[in-house]
Amino acid sequence: MKRFLLLLASAASLQAQTQIQTTLEASKATNIVRIAIPRPETTLPIESINGPFFAPLTRDIAASGIFAIAPIPPNIPADADLAKASNAQFVLALRVTPEEQDYVIEARLLDTTGVSQFGKRYRGTAPALSRMAHMIANDLVRTINGKPGIFLSQIAFASNRSGFYEIWLMDWDGANQRQISRHNALSILPSWSPDNDRMVYTSFTRGTSDMYIINRRGGGRIRLPTGLGLNTSATFSPISSDIAFVGSIAGNPDIYLIRDDGTNIRRLTTTTSIESTPEWSPNGRQISFTSGRSGTPQIYVMDAEGTNVQRISFEGEWNDDSTWSPDGEQIAYTSRVNGRFQIRIMNLVTRESRVIAGEGSNEQPTWSPDGRWIAFQSNRSGEWQIYRMRVDGSDLIPLTVDGENKDPDWSKKAE
Amino acid sequence: MKKVVQGFLCGMAVIALLLVPACRSKKTVKPKVVPTETAATVPPVPTMTTTTETKVTNPPDFVQTETQPPRVSTENLPSDVEELNRAVQQRGYLQDAFFSFDESTLPNDAQAALTTSANWLKRNPQYNLLIEGHCDERGTEQYNLALGDRRANTAKEYLMTLGVDGNRMRTVSYGEERPFDPGHDETAWAKNRRAHLVLVGK
Repeated sequence: MKRFLLLLASAASLQAQTQIQTTLEASKATNIVRIAIPRPETTLPIESINGPFFAPLTRDIAASGIFAIAPIPPNIPADADLAKASNAQFVLALRVTPEEQDYVIEARLLDTTGVSQFGKRYRGTAPALSRMAHMIANDLVRTINGKPGIFLSQIAFASNRSGFYEIWLMDWDGANQRQISRHNALSILPSWSPDNDRMVYTSFTRGTSDMYIINRRGGGRIRLPTGLGLNTSATFSPISSDIAFVGSIAGNPDIYLIRDDGTNIRRLTTTTSIESTPEWSPNGRQISFTSGRSGTPQIYVMDAEGTNVQRISFEGEWNDDSTWSPDGEQIAYTSRVNGRFQIRIMNLVTRESRVIAGEGSNEQPTWSPDGRWIAFQSNRSGEWQIYRMRVDGSDLIPLTVDGENKDPDWSKKAE
Repeated sequence: MKKVVQGFLCGMAVIALLLVPACRSKKTVKPKVVPTETAATVPPVPTMTTTTETKVTNPPDFVQTETQPPRVSTENLPSDVEELNRAVQQRGYLQDAFFSFDESTLPNDAQAALTTSANWLKRNPQYNLLIEGHCDERGTEQYNLALGDRRANTAKEYLMTLGVDGNRMRTVSYGEERPFDPGHDETAWAKNRRAHLVLVGK
């Protein structure tokens, strides 16, 4: 509870006071931009802002896919000369000033002629320093390519570190991990609402498996009674109040819809085979899912009304966990290759797919809101942990270490 | 060990003046129940005639009520639900059904196990049953939850065809969330692909 109060307090005390002036054309931003980032100018000991602020900021910028960080020669002030000396197009000039309980951070992006392409002031308390770092990184990405950065996005997941699997949240870089659900019972498979405010998930707290909705601070929990079995793999529609989920009658699992207020249950699939794992297309018009109707679990796509069912996966004897890229052009899924599960990405236009091979079993991919990253779970270390990689498989890092962790779901909105 | 238990049971039955019917019933067990090694060690399910019913001297919680059909307990089953479940599994009264990989149809030995379980359940209608569907770790989590649901319901329906009242039974799927054997080989996987029968009290 204390933790939530602290979060609320820090969010409330973080305001950005700003004028953004940009003379850059967003369309210019196709290439990687070299940027010099000297240490912030400050009267505070540098260690006090390095860990909570400067390190996450430079990590974000380095991971943005927009910027490359240039090595900096020593003893040059943060201005146009530094940009030239480090062969960079921009210098990010930062100043951190303490004001009572707050930190005031000024960020300016200067080009090689000394013109400011971006300038903004941020104010927040000490616990909000990493949040300010992510905001600055987001603003820089938006300045350069016109699209929001993903550095304030969140990854929901299930962790058993409290004794039971419960729903947890973390920042995109694995920081700030906090427990959201408190059932003291197996609780799994969280999925974000499109506005990033709520999650739907499954808990076994009543001895049956039931769907629950909870807000991102852990409050407002409601159960969605369906009268059906399973109530698993729930996922919010990106465009309506519908939730797709797996329900079952007498051992026949099918894809169903229910409104987020628990009303209007509709059955979308009617086969006698097992159907599972629905996932909406980003425009909300289609749903991918897994079906055993061919004899093995394979990925299918149907219209959101349950019509026009098409099988799309044909390789391997077990495919599951399909999830659409934010632009709707690709599907990532879990695919059994040579006896082990791997993340596979299929182009929905060409229907060609590629495997991102890794050690161990690799399952449950989820796309970052900008489509550049995939988080997934792997047991390569001997236990289930969540990892993040670029869509080409590079820059792989573990995001979790405590207990076992699985079922990652990346928030849908970038900010 | 099983033989010791069995001998002990029969001994108890003597004290309870139930020796003859309890041990005789061994011969009445259907051959279908004992084709496997597991089933062969199962103590026989006692059958009784109504005339011996009056001689039952079991503790109060096993005393028959008027609303229930005739039933017999030749032994003292624990009242604690965890101990009760351990006891009925150890004594083979309730036997889990095991499945093949990615299958929810019942192999012959699974049918035999459920037949044994159905016989005991019909004689002990005071207990309700939870059937848990489980899968091995080689599938994916979400599909396995659905597969476990189908396994649990397949077992439930088979028990119903054998005469167990469907209203006494409910199902839940744990998929691969709660393996019985945490190992990563076929021995462990085979144990984890099951419909697990759990008594849930009266």
